Amino acid sequence: MAPPIYSALIISLGLGTTMTFASTHWYLAWMGIEINTLAIIPLMAQNHIPRAIEATTKYFFVQATASATLLFAGISNAFLTGQWDITYTPYTLTSTLITLALAMKIGLAPLHSWMPEVMQGLNLLTGLILSTWQKLAPLYLIYQIQPNNPNIFIALGLLSIIVGGWGGFNQVQLRKILAYSSIAHLGWMILILSFSPPLALLTIIIYILMTFSLFSSFMLTRTTHINSLSTTWAKIPILTISTPLILLSLGGLPPLTGFMPKWMILQELTKQSLCPLATMAALSSLFSLYFYLRLSYAMTLTMPPNNPAGTLPWRLNPRHNTLPLALTTTSTICLLPMTPAIMSLMPF
Amino acid sequence: MTPAHFAFSSAFMLGLAGLAFHRTHFISALLCLEGLMLSLFIALSMWTLQFDTMNSASLPMILLAFSACEAGTGLALLVATTRTHSTNRLQNLNLLQC
Repeated sequence: MAPPIYSALIISLGLGTTMTFASTHWYLAWMGIEINTLAIIPLMAQNHIPRAIEATTKYFFVQATASATLLFAGISNAFLTGQWDITYTPYTLTSTLITLALAMKIGLAPLHSWMPEVMQGLNLLTGLILSTWQKLAPLYLIYQIQPNNPNIFIALGLLSIIVGGWGGFNQVQLRKILAYSSIAHLGWMILILSFSPPLALLTIIIYILMTFSLFSSFMLTRTTHINSLSTTWAKIPILTISTPLILLSLGGLPPLTGFMPKWMILQELTKQSLCPLATMAALSSLFSLYFYLRLSYAMTLTMPPNNPAGTLPWRLNPRHNTLPLALTTTSTICLLPMTPAIMSLMPF
Repeated sequence: MTPAHFAFSSAFMLGLAGLAFHRTHFISALLCLEGLMLSLFIALSMWTLQFDTMNSASLPMILLAFSACEAGTGLALLVATTRTHSTNRLQNLNLLQC
């Protein structure tokens, strides 16, 4: 893609999210979300292969429907309350409709069906933008809604954790696995959103770090299938050490960083006397851990039976920019001891 | 709920049902999307009449601009799908199954 067009699209992506962040009027928030959708469509379709066009089409339909429903709910809210403020949604119908529209935007269960297929059709960089940047604006709006009862958030969250784990069981394509992992992590975020919004912010920041490092590791070796994961030892051996640690961090195991949000969320849920919910959420995240362990197994603990993977690839001078990968991998693995410091920074 | 509110709400719900249950052609989904945007345009246009305020009088025009952009994107995707998948039937969008 020509550099001026590419930079215009990237700037529009930034503009859309910034507009939504800066708005208190429903219309401006909707405009920011529309700009985000319109800007990422050419990025998704840039290589014009049939899979990419199909993924773009499905993404477009889902996002257009969700945006229209979001604006409809905002207009209904305005007709009922007489003003356009984002934080003032006293009626259950409009706040539920807004929540469901935003849930469809970010791919929470039960509105998640488009996510694995769309992620499958994209190249890894666009998939990264889709699973990190595109989640920020809708999550900010969900944060602002403050509904009357948190039941819908709990239902969406728990269902997303279960679906995100269970759906990834049978997958061998890495992008679909990453889509289901995104669904599960967003479930954790939505679960805690009504009880402690700063914890939801912590969860999304840690999730973005972990996903960025995982996508960057896969982009280095251009792997999109578990089969090609197993030849990583021949190309970049250090990845066979760092990627399993990133995967286990995504699964939420101590002493890695991914444990921090889950621990804090379970603690907050227990404080709110929701122990069965906390138990169900913790047990359901074991599903995701299963397929992360499967990826680690394929990458680190197995060796292909014959050795052409070791002899065939040409070892040219690599021109990868590995600084983002290094930074995010380090923060994915080593940040758990910083938990007290981070908790003291969280505004409770 | 005023009659105007009910009118555009039912128009929106009909368009949403059409978009959710479209069966055969890509273009019928795009038409329902346009219907959704049109019902929202009417809702915003009635805002000035219902509430006697000029505060948000420009909102319908901005909605029209965004809706036109979205329609253009949808049609471009229709053309791209027809080029790659050789049809605009929705059952042919089956390359990305699990």
